[in-house]
Amino acid sequence: MNDPFDHLAAGLDRRRFLQLVSAAGLGLLSSGGLWGAEPSAQTPGSRTPSETFDIAIVGLGAQGRILLEAIQKIPTVRVVAICDIWEYSSTYVQRLLKKSDILVNVYEDHRTMLEKEKTLTAVIVATPDFWHAPVTNDCLSAGLHVYCEKMMSNTLEGARSMVAAMRKSGKLLQIGHQRRSNPRYIVARNRIVRGDAKALGRITAINGQWNRAAGTDFGWPAKATMKPDHLAKYGFKDMHQFRNWRWFKDLGGGPLSDLGAHQIDIYNWFLDAYPTRVMASGGADYYQNHEWFDNAMVIYEYQTADGPVRAFYQVQTTTSAGGGYFEQFMGIDGSLKMSENPKITALYHEAAGKSWDDLLRSNVVVANKAAPAPADTAKVDARETAALASYQIPVVMSKAIHQPHLENFFDSIRGRTKLTCPADEALRSEIAVFKAIEAVETKNPVICKPEDFIV
Amino acid sequence: MTDHDQPTDWGSTLAFLTLRLWLGSRALLTGIEKFADTRTLTIPLLDADGNPDASGAMVEVQEKFYALSNYHAVPSSLADSLAREPLLPGFLVSPFYAILGWVLILVGLTLIIGVFNRISLAIMGGIYIALTAGLILIKQDGGVSWLAIHIGLIAAALVLSKYNRFSVTRS
Ligand SMILES: NC(=O)c1ccc[n+]([C@@H]2O[C@H](COP(=O)([O-])OP(=O)(O)OC[C@H]3O[C@@H](n4cnc5c(N)ncnc54)[C@H](O)[C@@H]3O)[C@@H](O)[C@H]2O)c1
Repeated sequence: MNDPFDHLAAGLDRRRFLQLVSAAGLGLLSSGGLWGAEPSAQTPGSRTPSETFDIAIVGLGAQGRILLEAIQKIPTVRVVAICDIWEYSSTYVQRLLKKSDILVNVYEDHRTMLEKEKTLTAVIVATPDFWHAPVTNDCLSAGLHVYCEKMMSNTLEGARSMVAAMRKSGKLLQIGHQRRSNPRYIVARNRIVRGDAKALGRITAINGQWNRAAGTDFGWPAKATMKPDHLAKYGFKDMHQFRNWRWFKDLGGGPLSDLGAHQIDIYNWFLDAYPTRVMASGGADYYQNHEWFDNAMVIYEYQTADGPVRAFYQVQTTTSAGGGYFEQFMGIDGSLKMSENPKITALYHEAAGKSWDDLLRSNVVVANKAAPAPADTAKVDARETAALASYQIPVVMSKAIHQPHLENFFDSIRGRTKLTCPADEALRSEIAVFKAIEAVETKNPVICKPEDFIV
Repeated sequence: MTDHDQPTDWGSTLAFLTLRLWLGSRALLTGIEKFADTRTLTIPLLDADGNPDASGAMVEVQEKFYALSNYHAVPSSLADSLAREPLLPGFLVSPFYAILGWVLILVGLTLIIGVFNRISLAIMGGIYIALTAGLILIKQDGGVSWLAIHIGLIAAALVLSKYNRFSVTRS
């Protein structure tokens, strides 16, 4: 149970990962340095690129296009190559770029791209999760910096191989937990929850969720159907699996990994701690043709420097009830409900909590207009706590949500800053996600030992 | 007996002074506030040392500012309700709105400085009577009571105005 690889027996496919890695010509798993303690590649590599440099994007589906849109707003990088196994995706993006007079070389296989493209400084990887490790590791081995989408991999060993490849190459590997570069999240963490202010006081509980309404599986235009041998070459059984890879155990990590990984990362980052125990329940209760569970409820226990914290997290893909997606930190002096959606973000001060005057004076928070006091008749219990004073974090962001994270990556390559989500840090957080998946699958509490988080 | 012969009634003198300064401040600041508005500024969040926060975060802050172009005689919701009243014709209301803020500032200044106290109090009373009429018509009974308190204070000040001292003019 405590072996980080135990969960593989419960369904995550180790053999498949090994096949992919070796197919990609990477002997990393057998290399002695894999689990070694090479220096973290947080510091930029030796070659500092000039102000404007060339990049490529691998994986041009929904997320690849969102990242591309954000990249187009960053004038100091040039997209010179794109790569996707689905011609439908690459043609769409190629045409889109042509409209902005950007001509790119198009590839089906990332290895061909790496052979041919000699001016690249960095690669953005937005393929399905099971391709992250092979593509990322090849790019790092080719001496390129990589921005790879979360979840790092659908297997823990895949994710670990990426950290090893990062360390071996000395290149940067940023993982797409973009909240870590979001100024609102940074201010919330460093100026409200942590730092000198510790404005919420001791945090005792966390509640978070990502609830989405039930939907139908992704389809595809008939004319864009790929041949079975082409699909098989890239690890997909059929078009339905190709389009809905998230729900298949060999290809993705299910909703706890797909949606939860972002938010569980925030739990760990804000607490500056990793869980000690996790209990969870989940099931494929609704969708008949998915391998991964569609709903999960997780309870983490943390032992932080300030005391124990219990954290609930739920992901629902069959109901949007409960107010969307957020992470709520509850302390004795106040509570903070964070969300990537600023409209969901909320901050409350306990009536007896310590003063927030300094935060108000320094514009870290602003007070909302007081809500009218409830009528006496509306009170159900004489001991009811008074309505909490409500505040906002007035940080505004005029950029798309992924842009600051990409900018942080590019600026780190230039040696101007450090990555906000380097792979080693991301992996520690994602281990907590793997532990929750293990708890769902084994139906048993899972103990998380400090050494489990050593990467 | 003449005023000269009477000893100074300090209680009444101070009562008038208090009322004069209170009503003067009330009129002056109410008039000035009619030129106030708030605007939203986007500025860098600063750290404890006054340097831009390391996150590069920009914050939206509300700033109150004064400008002639901000002038609004009464809040727009109130103006809308009053505009629907048949007994308040536009040719009367518009000029009243146009001068209200300026007159309040002027009356406030004269009361605080202590010039033309009685006439200033009478003008202030007139303004509050006019406002009361409007509020009666739109059935804002709370506002009417609120103004009635002012009217009472103005009347008391007029009664006590004979104890006027510490003024530039005696009137
Ligand atoms: N950070 C975020 O907020 C966020 C949001 C959504 C998705 N994601 C992540 O982005 C990644 C992509 O998700 P998506 O929603 O775009 O999926 P998608 O299915 O829409 O797109 C994946 C694309 O990758 C291509 N592809 C598959 N295998 C490939 C390979 N070997 N080489 C090159 N291209 C390949 C597919 O043809 C497809 O065009 C996933 O890892 C997902 O977890 C992150």
